[in-house]
Amino acid sequence: MSGDLLQKIRETDFFKELSNEALAAVASRASLRKFAPDEALMRKGDAALSFYVILNGHLKIVTTDAKGDEIIINKVGPGETIGELALVDERPRSAGVVALEPVEALELTKEAFFELLDQRLDVSLGILRGFSSRLRFSTTYIEKVIDWSQKTAEGDYSFLEYTQPLLNRAGTDDDKAAQLLSTFYSMVRKVKAREEGLKQQLERLTFEIDQERRKREFEEITGTEFYAKLKEQAQTIRRKRTPDP
Amino acid sequence: MSEGKIVSIHSFRGGTGKSNVTANLAAQVAMTGKRVGVVDTDIQSPGIHVLFGLDDAKMGKTMNDFLHGKATIREIGFSIGENTGGGEGRSKLAGKNLFLFPSSIRGREISQILREGIDFNLLNEGMQTTISEFDLDYLFIDTHPGLNEETLLSIATSDVLIIILRPDNQDLQGTSVTVDVARSLDVPNLFLLVNKALPKYDFAEIKTTIEAQFQAPVTSVLPLSFDLAENASIDLFSLRYPDHEWSKALRNVVDFVLNAK
Repeated sequence: MSGDLLQKIRETDFFKELSNEALAAVASRASLRKFAPDEALMRKGDAALSFYVILNGHLKIVTTDAKGDEIIINKVGPGETIGELALVDERPRSAGVVALEPVEALELTKEAFFELLDQRLDVSLGILRGFSSRLRFSTTYIEKVIDWSQKTAEGDYSFLEYTQPLLNRAGTDDDKAAQLLSTFYSMVRKVKAREEGLKQQLERLTFEIDQERRKREFEEITGTEFYAKLKEQAQTIRRKRTPDP
Repeated sequence: MSEGKIVSIHSFRGGTGKSNVTANLAAQVAMTGKRVGVVDTDIQSPGIHVLFGLDDAKMGKTMNDFLHGKATIREIGFSIGENTGGGEGRSKLAGKNLFLFPSSIRGREISQILREGIDFNLLNEGMQTTISEFDLDYLFIDTHPGLNEETLLSIATSDVLIIILRPDNQDLQGTSVTVDVARSLDVPNLFLLVNKALPKYDFAEIKTTIEAQFQAPVTSVLPLSFDLAENASIDLFSLRYPDHEWSKALRNVVDFVLNAK
């Protein structure tokens, strides 16, 4: 296994906590797999027998709708892992994964994975740390997003200024939590802009009636002899038209 | 005694789309099976006949002839249901009871009436006769903008007054005076209708603001529409394009008219 390959494994979130030696142990039990475009790595409902670390190429995560048509849920690429959760919770595959282009991936079978867990405490701890850090990272940001959502609902956008720098340090582009935050920020910025735009428009639609002028013009119209006669006639005309009881 | 109602459509300033709204609203009410008449009392600048496909050549006796004692109401009424005059939208009115009472578009006759003045008693009588002779449920009156004497007369005699305004300060200022006058003349049903609202505005906000300002219901807020501007003078837009936003908003007004006491 080349150093290049070890480096690629280390770049995955899942294995980033492993020492070089532990990484080598993982690599030795893994096999390199190549997939042609449109080839499926797994299908929805399959038993979970292995997981993959993507080295090159992109894949789509797919499911089917009620009519049986394919829906693409997500795309994944180099450095990302596929199917590790199913190995642990032993549930069937919840979605299918299909190569979009020639893909190289490292496959670790369920047996190899559990063997590693059984024999190498350092690998087990490394993997556990990987799980934990992803979970903690997600939880922290979910809490943040809940807090900010409440603020947004109340029209308080002040957090945009003081948390923006934090976001830029938060992680890489392929970090899902960072993606969530970035989408969330973009949403809040758009909501804020729309609200400000609306306020401006409504300001232009603030109507002002000059009450003095209104009164003056009313008196000019109603002060004539014609009007007095008309008012009198109007009552007669309407009374005449009203059907007799 | 007829139970037909007089519905006056008025706007303080010109250019609010009053004739267009009047023609389309009258047509929509006629589509519900009611017997409907439309009188053009905008003698200074008549225009509503165009929307009903009537031109100088087709126009027979007019309100001007009536006011000069040269024609009876019976002779003036032009049945749109029998002469839809082409137009995809208008053709839907075939067989409906919709009658137009046009004003003369001949310059000489216009200036004559302006010079001699209008006999208000005769005009008023004419409206009552129109309702009874044609057995109308609703007589729509397309008035001249502003508050001149013939407009005041039609406000004074109407059962329903619909004031059309654009959402701007000048129209609101003028409308405020008209609202006060209508209340002073005890108009039983006073409605507002906002036309030509820019689609980017919040229509619900416009409605509530104006209702709060005048303590009168805003029957609908109609969008400013280029589609309408392009088509307006050729056909009845709301019949031709029933699914257009403008047409849908206009149909909101129908129930206000039908439910007016």
